[in-house]
Amino acid sequence: MASLAPTNADDRPLLEIRDVSVALRNGNRTMVAGVSLSVRPREVFGIVGESGSGKTLLTRTLLGLQDDAYVAGGSVRFNGQSLPIDGYGTQARKLLGHSIGFVPQDPFASLNPSMRIGKQITEAIYLAKGWPMGAERTRDAAISLMAEVGIPEPALAFNQFPDQFSGGMRQRMVFAIALAQDPKLLVADEPTTALDAITQRRVIELILDRSRKHDLAVILISHNLELLRQSVGRIAVLYGGQLLNIVASSDIGHRMVHPYTEALFDCIPTREKTLADIRSIPGEPVGAGFGLRGCAFASRCPYVVTACTTADLPRNSAMAPSFSACILGRGAS
Amino acid sequence: MAGVDIPMVELRGVAKSFARRLFVQNRSFALRDINIAIGRGEVVGILGESGSGKSTVANIITCLTGYDGGTYRFKGRDIAAYTRKERFAFKSDVQIVFQDPYGSLNPRATVRGSVMESLLLHRRDLGRAQRIERANALLEEVGLSADAGERYPHEFSGGQRQRIAIARAIAVEPELLVLDEPLSSLDVSIQAQILELFVRMIRERGLTIVFISHDVNVVRLLCDRVYVMNQGAVVEEGFARDVLSHPQNEYTARLLDAVY
Repeated sequence: MASLAPTNADDRPLLEIRDVSVALRNGNRTMVAGVSLSVRPREVFGIVGESGSGKTLLTRTLLGLQDDAYVAGGSVRFNGQSLPIDGYGTQARKLLGHSIGFVPQDPFASLNPSMRIGKQITEAIYLAKGWPMGAERTRDAAISLMAEVGIPEPALAFNQFPDQFSGGMRQRMVFAIALAQDPKLLVADEPTTALDAITQRRVIELILDRSRKHDLAVILISHNLELLRQSVGRIAVLYGGQLLNIVASSDIGHRMVHPYTEALFDCIPTREKTLADIRSIPGEPVGAGFGLRGCAFASRCPYVVTACTTADLPRNSAMAPSFSACILGRGAS
Repeated sequence: MAGVDIPMVELRGVAKSFARRLFVQNRSFALRDINIAIGRGEVVGILGESGSGKSTVANIITCLTGYDGGTYRFKGRDIAAYTRKERFAFKSDVQIVFQDPYGSLNPRATVRGSVMESLLLHRRDLGRAQRIERANALLEEVGLSADAGERYPHEFSGGQRQRIAIARAIAVEPELLVLDEPLSSLDVSIQAQILELFVRMIRERGLTIVFISHDVNVVRLLCDRVYVMNQGAVVEEGFARDVLSHPQNEYTARLLDAVY
């Protein structure tokens, strides 16, 4: 688990997003509003949210992968370099090939089904590093990369096609492609949702292990709060397109956190809980696009007061490492 | 446990295989020698990963698919020997709720219409007014608002659609309710709501429940007994609190270790 304590002074944030909002091109509707967070080098950071919370839209837009949405406001800095808001997508995609690796949700849709595995990985190495090593050494590099992500008999797998592998193995291959460029940041969007429990644990541990050994920062996006709580150092909680909480994962279940984070944790069955510990949240989750007027969770919140629906949502413009958007101060450190 | 009573569901040596290719003798086994006994009033979990065969077991218990070895007795009677009339009665005795409730509701029927349809088939003694009244009561029991009955399935969220599917399943007052991954397609906050509904239903209606799931933590909370399946076979069975805290089987232990 990553430590929360600030380390030495040169630990400047690797990724800094300040008051970022994301809007849809069609109709200019703001879906994600005023999100501020920073990720330090080597940090393992989680983003949790139910479906429709905006977690995937936010990250895909920040990576320049979402064609139908754009960064409508705020500022983004990566590795000390500021990214322009105009023409953001083009700039972000340049980083994506080199400094940022991305593992998308669906391991079955992210590989080319008619291209041999080895070719897809050497292609990624070639795109990141050019061709200084020659074909033979690139091949060796690909095979050692495949071995590193836990593909058995990589030399054999090199010449096989994606459909000859299970979901877990395919996700490892996507992971190998993302790591081919030796990125500083790996973004993984629900990388294990399609996998069964044993494979899921292996893939997550692979990611954490790589992060420790290669100074890789990771943003792990999941709907599974318990998975994140056991895997990452800090968690950002999104709901209705709002950033409600940034919290140390060790605080969840032990200290006061934002009411939504608390409610979310109370409704998931975990190892330790009995039936009496499970408390469901009444009502239905709201979709992204709630804006910043009032708290999106107010309609389901047990602590709600009138001001919750009228006051502007507090934002983390000061870029604090932990943050609660609750106007009642619940979960604020 | 059923004690000396005849179990409600008794699968003995049940097997099912699929031909790998047409006209080729080499068959792959989906299920091998399955022995499951479920007593009246029990809540039994069948726990397994994808491909373990747990959904095939659900389909066999509900007679949605056949099997090609062993016997299946329902309330002591071999279903292979069922008459036409018994087979019809079986369909109101055993109901199933699937993972994706949208796929199991008629998009062109109102929600009340869907619930009334099963009453029309299995409760011939009820008049139309009684059926409407019964349907409204059921929708209320599963936590839907009074006007829900007039609306169509697409107007509902996943959790509400699952409530509709549950109302439809309990409409015919089944003795056995099979739940095949009923929480898997729902958001976590909604999963807890539906879980609470199941707990209430078990308490109030005394249903016998077969709960098919890959989620160890949910099975631990809900079930009295559990069968753990892997690669088409039952690898471990017992009381849920024993099996899921002190597994004897190597696969069960690995599965429990992996779960977050």
